[in-house]
Amino acid sequence: MMMPVRCFSCGRVIITDYIRFQENVEKIRREKNREPTSDEIDQIFSDLGVNRYCCRRMIISHVDLIDDVIGFD
Amino acid sequence: MKIKILQISERYARFEIEGIDYAYANMIRRTLINDIPKLAIKNVTFHLGSIRKVEEDGKAKVYNSSTPLFNEIISHRIGLIPLKTDLNMKFRNECDHPADQACPLCTVNYTLTKFGPGIVYSGDLMPIGDEKFAPVDPNIPIVKLDENQALVIDAEAIMGTGREHARWQVTSGVAYKVHREFRIPKYLEIIDLIRKDCKANIISDEGDVMIITDDIPCRHIAKLYRMDEVKMEEDESRFIFQFETDGSLSAKETLKFAIKRLRTRLDRIRDSVVV
Ligand SMILES: [Zn+2]
Repeated sequence: MMMPVRCFSCGRVIITDYIRFQENVEKIRREKNREPTSDEIDQIFSDLGVNRYCCRRMIISHVDLIDDVIGFD
Repeated sequence: MKIKILQISERYARFEIEGIDYAYANMIRRTLINDIPKLAIKNVTFHLGSIRKVEEDGKAKVYNSSTPLFNEIISHRIGLIPLKTDLNMKFRNECDHPADQACPLCTVNYTLTKFGPGIVYSGDLMPIGDEKFAPVDPNIPIVKLDENQALVIDAEAIMGTGREHARWQVTSGVAYKVHREFRIPKYLEIIDLIRKDCKANIISDEGDVMIITDDIPCRHIAKLYRMDEVKMEEDESRFIFQFETDGSLSAKETLKFAIKRLRTRLDRIRDSVVV
C-alpha cells in the first residue's frame, strides 16, 4: 500500500526520506542507464541521514501498491 | 558528573556524560524515549457521504468520501505526522476542566479538505488558530485520491508521551555506549587507513602504539575487534549518548526537558518516602 510514515522499529519519520531516496535512484537510472549498485545505495542512505538498518530496510523493501488498489474504493 | 556536548544540530544530538554508571545512563535514555511530551493528533472525524463542490465553471460537482485506504489507516497515518510543539501546553487530564472537555491550553484543532485526483499531503492539514502548530514537514503523503474522491476531516491534537503511543514519541534511535580505547601496534596495515579516514578518532599517535576511540563513528573500527594484536579498554564511567528527534522539538529542547523531567520524577519519589 502506501509507505509507512514512521519506521516500525525506531519511530523515525522515513516517508520523506523514501521520496528523496527514490529521486536519487531515478537520477542514477537516468544518467547512467543502469540500476544503482549496493555501494551507491549505501551512499544515498548516508547522505539522507538514514543510518540505522531498521529504517533502511523499511525503504529498501517497500513496494508501492496504492495505484493498484485505488480503483477499489 | 560532567556533560560535554559533542555534536548538536536541530534534530540530532551527541553528548558525553562522565562519572555516571549504567543505571543513570539508562534512566536518561528511557526518559528521552518515553517521557517527553509532544503534540499529536488523537481524534479524527471523517465527513462521510457525498461532498458537493462548486467548480470554476459554476456547476456543482459531487465527490465521494470513500478513499483507497480505510479511515482507520488514514487516521493512524495522520496521527504519526510530527507537529510543532509548544512545551507550555498542558496534558488534558492536568487541565482545569473535566477530562472530556477541551480548551486552547490543551487542544489544537485541525481541518483538512482535499478534492481528488491527487495526493493528500500533511501540508493540507490546517491548524485552526495559531499557524505555529502546522506540521513540521509539509511533504508527508497521507493518502492518494482518485477522480471524484474527496477527503474532509476534522482532527484534534492533544499532548501525550511516548509511553502511551508512538505518535507522541519525540526521539528515535536513542542509544548510549561506553567510552572505548583501542591500542593498535603500528606495524599493522590498518594504521594507514585510520590516519586517512578517521582522523578525528585518534587520541594519540606517538610511540609504537596508536590509541584511538570509537566515540565517533568510523568504518574501520569493526575490523579492529577481529585482530588479536589490538588491545581494547572500556571506561565504564564515560557514556556517549546520541539521539535524533522528529522535528516537533529541537534536540536542545528535548535534552533540556529530559533533564528537568528526571529531576521532578526523582523529587516525587523523595517526597513520598516517609522516614
Ligand atoms: Zn528505524
